[in-house]
Amino acid sequence: MKKNVFILISFVIVASILAGCQSKGADKLVVAARGGSHVTAMEAVKEAFEKEHNVQVEIIGLEAADLKQKISLDAKNKNGAYDLIMADDPWMPEFSEAGIFANLSKLGVTEDADFEASSLALGKHPYGTGELYALPFSGNVQLFFYNKQLLDKHNYEVPQSWEEVLSMAKTIHEQDGVAGYVIRGQQGNPIVSDFLPIFWAYGGQVFDDNWNAQIDSEAGKKALNTYIELLAVGANYETTDIVSSLATSQAAMALGWPSWFITGEEASAEYSPVPAQAADGAEAFATGMIGNWMMGVTANSKTPELAAEFLTFITSSEVQKQMVEHGGVPTRKSVYLDSELSAKYKHFPVQLEALENSVARPRTPLWSRVEEALGTELSAAIAGTKTVEAALSAANQEINQIMK
Amino acid sequence: MHSKQRFQWAMLAPVILLLTGLTVFPIGYTILNSFTDYYYLASESKQFIGFANYIKVIQDEVFLKAVWNTVKFMVLAVTAEIALGLGMAVLVESLKRGLKILRISLLLPSLLPPVTVALIWQMMLSNHNGIINHLLSYFGRGPFNFLMDIHTAFYAVLFIDIWQWTPFAFLLIYAALQAVPKLQYDAAKVDGAGRGRIFLHITLPNIMPSLMMVILLRTIDTFRLFDKVNILTGGGPANSTTTITQYIYRHGVYNLQIGYGAAASMIMVLLVLTFSIFYIKRSIGGSGHDMRY
Repeated sequence: MKKNVFILISFVIVASILAGCQSKGADKLVVAARGGSHVTAMEAVKEAFEKEHNVQVEIIGLEAADLKQKISLDAKNKNGAYDLIMADDPWMPEFSEAGIFANLSKLGVTEDADFEASSLALGKHPYGTGELYALPFSGNVQLFFYNKQLLDKHNYEVPQSWEEVLSMAKTIHEQDGVAGYVIRGQQGNPIVSDFLPIFWAYGGQVFDDNWNAQIDSEAGKKALNTYIELLAVGANYETTDIVSSLATSQAAMALGWPSWFITGEEASAEYSPVPAQAADGAEAFATGMIGNWMMGVTANSKTPELAAEFLTFITSSEVQKQMVEHGGVPTRKSVYLDSELSAKYKHFPVQLEALENSVARPRTPLWSRVEEALGTELSAAIAGTKTVEAALSAANQEINQIMK
Repeated sequence: MHSKQRFQWAMLAPVILLLTGLTVFPIGYTILNSFTDYYYLASESKQFIGFANYIKVIQDEVFLKAVWNTVKFMVLAVTAEIALGLGMAVLVESLKRGLKILRISLLLPSLLPPVTVALIWQMMLSNHNGIINHLLSYFGRGPFNFLMDIHTAFYAVLFIDIWQWTPFAFLLIYAALQAVPKLQYDAAKVDGAGRGRIFLHITLPNIMPSLMMVILLRTIDTFRLFDKVNILTGGGPANSTTTITQYIYRHGVYNLQIGYGAAASMIMVLLVLTFSIFYIKRSIGGSGHDMRY
């Protein structure tokens, strides 16, 4: 009797272990996503797909750094843990070169002209011209945020140049005692994203055509001086404080991303495209940094066809319209131009305009390292431990070293 | 081999296998990787490059700054935590009432995960909405940008660490104080010794092993400082709060430069050993004071 019980228990244990080790069937799709509003939006709409395909869609929300790390580590497994992954657009060259994404064209996903062109270009490898590896999921693009009340008080129109921004910021700071302009100067990605639009407005480019750094150009020096002057009449805040200070008239202007601010009709701050000129009458450049979150099927997905279907579903115009209600940021022109939605979300025309005139960060697989080097030196310059010239020269040197 | 020896080896085998798998192999693999240009996403093209990673790490200004910050942080944090922990333990031990409530409330900060502590303090130190700046404004001061000002960021992180880990030092020292034989105090009092002399000649020698253990644990732990810095300052401003672990994370984990990160990790291990060797020698050798924990 004892022997039989022992055999039975052993059998159950072995069967449980085997069941646990069994490869994941086609009844489940796992999405590795950037946590926050993206996950909320997907969760709100996924049910229709689950019912139609009799599949469970599990969405794992992660912080950006965790997401990048987990995707990279999983890429080396024969059978991946994730079927679909979200990627910040600067990661695209690195991930595409490493073969992390499956080729979407081979999975029957066709190019869709309804996607905003600058967003769609980010999903191709090589950038803009190559094969399609990811579709744009969230159409984040940097915008210029301002407190209308403070600007109206001084009879100011929305500034069109950075010298105008600086002059307005000085006046507001002196007369109202609030921050004229708020920078997001935390070392790393924040300060780089905050500085580059100003640098671009001055006609600067991080690299020349041969990938030589030129951050220490005249444009770089002028832009960094402007940035430091803006800080002198403003403040250096992290995201939450930028949002609340602008909403409560404690700050007049800042750069930001739509997903921070735009929560519906009651959005507190006003927004416009990022000023495109250094000074009034100067040449205008594209300055709104595009920061789309892309989504693609993993090369090691066990059910790539089903994953591709979910990707098509989640980025379709019908589903994007639904996701807007849950904090989703569209990537399709038809959603931005939808009369019902644009009547409710008054920022849509501005955001579409910003997307159309947006500029992508340099498309190199080494961008993360370049950004880190640049971020360190920009931080040193605004902290006053290095002069503008010394910081930009050091950044240039280090970026060239990375690009070797 | 005798049957007794065979039995001993059979008993030891699982532990040896476990140690080999979980400690010896990872260390050996890290050392090997530190001599390669291992980039995780292109692991097929991994090549042996000798000491190039080590040379690059040592020549990197950011790494040297990270070492300096870490050592400075370790010295200041451990000193403050031990001094405050000792003071609190002596004070609490002398109290006659409210001991239980005081002991529990004092321990609360060290029960919180470091990430939670960092997020709470980030909110409290916010220069726009933070309660600290609101309080300071009542006294006509501030607002201060504690976490983004080069003069205050390092000390803000240091303060938060001291706030969180002083209770840990207090707990161990307080436990040691409880074990000091009361007879020794009575004898000293009979001999007419004052409070200062009693503390120096009776209390301190008795709790020395615990003190050494707290110093060792906090030294090793402060060397691993990562969560708070990563959340609160990202290593800035101008690398004023960058630590070695954050440097390793940035290169080895976020940028997947495994070889380079491994070299930096090995240098960190050597540094930790250098700072801990004194305590470890005392611990293993048992010279001076017995380590009882």
